Amino acid sequence: MFGFLLGEALRDLRRAGSVAVSAILLISLSLAALGAFWLLSSNLGHAVAQLRERVKVVVYLEREPSTRDASALVERVRRMPGVAAVRYVGKTEALGTLKHVLGKDAAVVDLLPQNPLPASLEITPTAEGATLEGARALVTRLAALPETEEVGGGVEWMDRFAHGQRLLWLFALGVGAVLAGAAILTVATATALVLHARREEMEIMRLVGAPEHVVRLPLLMQGMMQGLIGAVLAVWVLIGCYAIIGPRIEPLVTETLGITRLAFLRPLNVVSLMAAGTLLGGLGGWLARGRPES
Amino acid sequence: MIELHRVSKIYAVGPVKVPALSDVSFRIAKGEFVTLCGPSGSGKTTLMRLLYRDDVPSEGEVEVLGEELTHLSRAEVAALRRSIGIVFQDAKLLPGRTVYENVAFVLRVLGTPRREITGRVFDALRAVGLSARAQAYPAQLSQGEAQRAALARAVARKPLLLIADEPTGSLDDSMAAEVLDIVKDIWAGGTTVLFATHQVALAAALQRRTLTLQGGRLVKDEG
Repeated sequence: MFGFLLGEALRDLRRAGSVAVSAILLISLSLAALGAFWLLSSNLGHAVAQLRERVKVVVYLEREPSTRDASALVERVRRMPGVAAVRYVGKTEALGTLKHVLGKDAAVVDLLPQNPLPASLEITPTAEGATLEGARALVTRLAALPETEEVGGGVEWMDRFAHGQRLLWLFALGVGAVLAGAAILTVATATALVLHARREEMEIMRLVGAPEHVVRLPLLMQGMMQGLIGAVLAVWVLIGCYAIIGPRIEPLVTETLGITRLAFLRPLNVVSLMAAGTLLGGLGGWLARGRPES
Repeated sequence: MIELHRVSKIYAVGPVKVPALSDVSFRIAKGEFVTLCGPSGSGKTTLMRLLYRDDVPSEGEVEVLGEELTHLSRAEVAALRRSIGIVFQDAKLLPGRTVYENVAFVLRVLGTPRREITGRVFDALRAVGLSARAQAYPAQLSQGEAQRAALARAVARKPLLLIADEPTGSLDDSMAAEVLDIVKDIWAGGTTVLFATHQVALAAALQRRTLTLQGGRLVKDEG
């Protein structure tokens, strides 16, 4: 029976002709747009995750503690919520780092009458501690330490980045929804045309006592087929664009986002796009379905 | 097999109520061949539509194959129709399918196993003398052949009841006689037949029980 229903659905698809082709192209377009935004967003997300791992909060100390006090302070800070690791940087080490950064101009440092750099704690936050709320709480806790002169670093800039990523997603969903709506209407139109073309068959089917699902399933299936074909086309387009454009923009991406490679969608994402296409097409077919007999 | 008890059907056309059937009662036993006779507009088609539950009566009860039809669910209507073969004046063949495919189509939608379909289609086509025209499309058939193909489609499912709504209405005498002979053969095979015609002479020639409708009323039940 399934083979028969599938055969009827394919027959219906051929009947719908150019309208079915338009529906398939619209579904392809909407899913390709959605997929492209998804690809962009997942790479941005990847970049944000990498940047979070590199986030450091620096606590500048009022005065350089003794070795014992420094160890106690490090231990105290390590036990704070949101702290993954703590490293104590003494005044001498800080000056050494400065010299290293200055390179051939390091001799300038030796002209200073005394070491102006403060001792500090370099803190690596946990994943929770690297969020905007987590970082704010951590900074507040660190600022409250009696040894603290000033707390530097933070994650506001990165959260703006993440916020941009969320906006991109919303924009993608908006564009995708508009295109998907158009695709559903086109599939519904294609199915309505098929419905008109096969009204005699449906009448015969009902007169001979065919179960209602046998009468209506081919319509739903031809809608789903349009959706699936559209989704496969969309994935091909995405793969093609990724293969052509990816290598060209990778240096730029590495420079700006710090990720070495532009990643393609995961297999699960691709399957989701296929499922979304099938669902869109099915929805169009369902919307245009034949009215059941009372 | 069929029982109508005080059945009336009234159609509302805007504010006007048009009675199509009025107080019709009769019984048809299993295995009978009954002719339903009456001029155009007498209510024959309305009555037949009530029998395969394409419509419901405004009043009264319709019982077919032991089922009272008024309150059947959609699935129950479908189940009822699987036991009924229906033939119309216009044959209602699917134009994009061959004679073979038209007959096979109904078997397939009813879930007949694929291996049985070819045999049953050709049995039905042989019964109506159309085996040689199996690959012809409806547009290539004469009206008589089209009506025989419709009969083949109706009997391929081996129905308990055949409802024929003016199948000879648009045929010349020789074609009508051919179709009638086939219907008689189907009846001889044990199928109950209700055969509608507006041709009084044809009904008389059949020499079977005849129900005569006039203005929606059953005016005669004889034979």
